[in-house]
Amino acid sequence: MLNTANLSLDQAPPISIPFRFFVTAPLFGIAAALLLLFKGPELFLTRWSPFTLGLTHLITLGFLAMVMCGALLQMLPVIAGSPVPRVVLVGTLCHLMITLGSALLVHAFISGSLVGEHSALALMGGGVIIFFIAISLALWRVENVSHSVIAMRLAVVALMITLLLGLLLGSGLLGFLGFGNIAALVDVHLGWGMLGWVGLLLVGISYQVVPMFQVTPEYPVAVRRWLAPSIFGGMLVWSGFSFMAMQGLVDTRVTSVWMSLILAGFACYAVVTLRLQRLRKRRIPDVTLSFWRVGMVSVLLSALLWGVAQLVPAVEQDPRYHLFLGVALLLGAGVSVINGMLYKIVPFLSWFHLQNRQVSLMCMSVQVPNMKQFIRDRYARMQYRLYLASLVLALASTLQPSWFSYLAGMMFLGSNILLLVNLSLAMTRYRTTNAALLAEGAVEKG
Amino acid sequence: MEKKLDVSMLEPCEPLEQTLAAVQRLETGDYLRVIHRREPHMLYPLLEKGGFKWRCRETQPGRYEICIWKQDDSVARAAIDAERG
Repeated sequence: MLNTANLSLDQAPPISIPFRFFVTAPLFGIAAALLLLFKGPELFLTRWSPFTLGLTHLITLGFLAMVMCGALLQMLPVIAGSPVPRVVLVGTLCHLMITLGSALLVHAFISGSLVGEHSALALMGGGVIIFFIAISLALWRVENVSHSVIAMRLAVVALMITLLLGLLLGSGLLGFLGFGNIAALVDVHLGWGMLGWVGLLLVGISYQVVPMFQVTPEYPVAVRRWLAPSIFGGMLVWSGFSFMAMQGLVDTRVTSVWMSLILAGFACYAVVTLRLQRLRKRRIPDVTLSFWRVGMVSVLLSALLWGVAQLVPAVEQDPRYHLFLGVALLLGAGVSVINGMLYKIVPFLSWFHLQNRQVSLMCMSVQVPNMKQFIRDRYARMQYRLYLASLVLALASTLQPSWFSYLAGMMFLGSNILLLVNLSLAMTRYRTTNAALLAEGAVEKG
Repeated sequence: MEKKLDVSMLEPCEPLEQTLAAVQRLETGDYLRVIHRREPHMLYPLLEKGGFKWRCRETQPGRYEICIWKQDDSVARAAIDAERG
């Protein structure tokens, strides 16, 4: 349940704070698409290529983390009833540091520049630590701790673990470990980033936004109570066993068993979400719902593929498997859900801020557009189709890079340009209506 | 006099929009009873700024009834008090 009993609208940040994060995400999407267009098949040879690492971080940091950070800064007062302290300063600093840090990190991956890498790690580390402190303060001040808040707390802890592992890996301090162990540590970093930070935050936010925006029944109480803490606990045990496996103290099959349990948790979440969406009370087409369905199917596909790879060693040893899994998780599960949510969050925030302005000024002569008028459904659906084509082509690229990778790049470029246009149009609509309200309000006062 | 509005099957922002439009049409002595599937916390600050009072109760799990009246309308308030015993 939304818990905003003590919320004053004045505590919410200015809309420009979340908007700057949201509009930056498709710019990184465009950069990722250009990398695909210029490097094409090279990106799908091995997950360890500098360009592939660059592409991965353009998506995880530039797109996924960017939107998630902006949304949390804005939505915490609404979802948890607790505003983020010094939100304008925190939002401005985090946005600048994470944007510059992501861009520099990708550049460092590609160019191999050590100076660039250290600057990137300093900026990224600083930005995430400021974000972590501010969000943690807000999350720990929450009075009525809901299941969503618990999942969000665990997700920000996972973000911190991801960052620390990333800094450790990027610092070059681990060279003595040898590639085999570093690769295992990269998997732990990746696990905490994708399953801990992105996954747990998604789970926690879903408890709120799926019933609210998609008019479905609530998630079952048992799922809400147990899922996120169980996944987090499973991640801790899995990480412990992974470190022990690096020392040769346990068999790697032990870590696989724990990862199976974690993935079973996410598969359960995906099945419950798909079922709730099937039971939704108002059966009208909705582009966000389409994005979410792709996301949930991708979660199931990734879990299934991972299971197959554990049973068939030939699959596990094939580099294409790792690339396919990466595309399914990042582009299939991550980008789809975040992209879909943008089509709800941006119109909702725009509408809500304008509505608030209108009531404050008592200026009823200017009409506030409703949510559906901020982004035209036809354009959003067009963008969804481009995104879906890019996902299918990127998955195919992992199997036949030379045939599909350039096409995947073209579709992803088109998808992100259209996303940028759609978001920009919504923001322009917000600004013009806001200006009209202020002008009319001044006339009525005068 | 009671006016009734069921927004329980609508997706955001329609419940807020329809509620705010309906309260503008309240005459003296009228109050609005809104049926919702969630407690509409985001509505309250808007009602407060607009000069309205409200009472909310969960009549059954997943069903909320919010009664809204103009803050200076004692007749409407008395009607709600009487109805709730």
